[in-house]
Amino acid sequence: MKLSTLISEDCSKAAVLFNSKKRILQYISELAQQKIPNANQHDILEALLNREKLGSTGIGKGIAIPHGRLSGLSDVVAILLVNQQAIPFDAYDDRNVDIFVALIVPDGENKQHLETLASIAGKLNDKHFCKRLRQASNDNELYQVLVEYDK
Amino acid sequence: MTQSQQGFFLIKNKLGLHARAATVLAQLSTQFDADITLYQGEKSAPGDSVLALLLLESSQGKQVKVTCTGPDAHDALIAIGNLIENKFHEDE
Repeated sequence: MKLSTLISEDCSKAAVLFNSKKRILQYISELAQQKIPNANQHDILEALLNREKLGSTGIGKGIAIPHGRLSGLSDVVAILLVNQQAIPFDAYDDRNVDIFVALIVPDGENKQHLETLASIAGKLNDKHFCKRLRQASNDNELYQVLVEYDK
Repeated sequence: MTQSQQGFFLIKNKLGLHARAATVLAQLSTQFDADITLYQGEKSAPGDSVLALLLLESSQGKQVKVTCTGPDAHDALIAIGNLIENKFHEDE
């Protein structure tokens, strides 16, 4: 799966600045709601917060993949945020987080979800890719990094 | 003394080796003085890397091989095996 297809250009946000887990999840839910007109922002935020309560989605190396399930959704909504500074996110390696790939996924669809996670992990496992994401100074530049690495 | 151990375990939980399960496994892996590697098919992943574990795409019903090398190899293998077969502490 191509990341530039999964994450649309208007869901790629470079050099944002949030200073807490709650704030960044709020912003994610706001962006996701624009893609899912039938859902309300509060439900999306609740789904993300409930998932974090089960254990942080900080997967190490300064990366987190906040996600939540929403019933009645037809497609995955994915959002990429790069924060200007790494913030505490309770990641298992104790590192602060500045790269966020958020997913709002349909209920069920477990196998599809694993495939999506693997596609994202495959890219984020590449140090150079992460460096380029962190260097992007505007949204378009950030999205172009996705396009370039999909080739 | 360095020792090496390996075992085969079945992924039983409904969600497979998803993000939360992979994180729990990575946390457990870091507690042992051992190099832990998971294998599924032709893919392999260090036990302490969530990103690499997610790349295995291990879903319910898949069998994974686990190898542990180092002073804690034996205890590590038992702990990892129990975690996988106990569905990563998940209900289903």
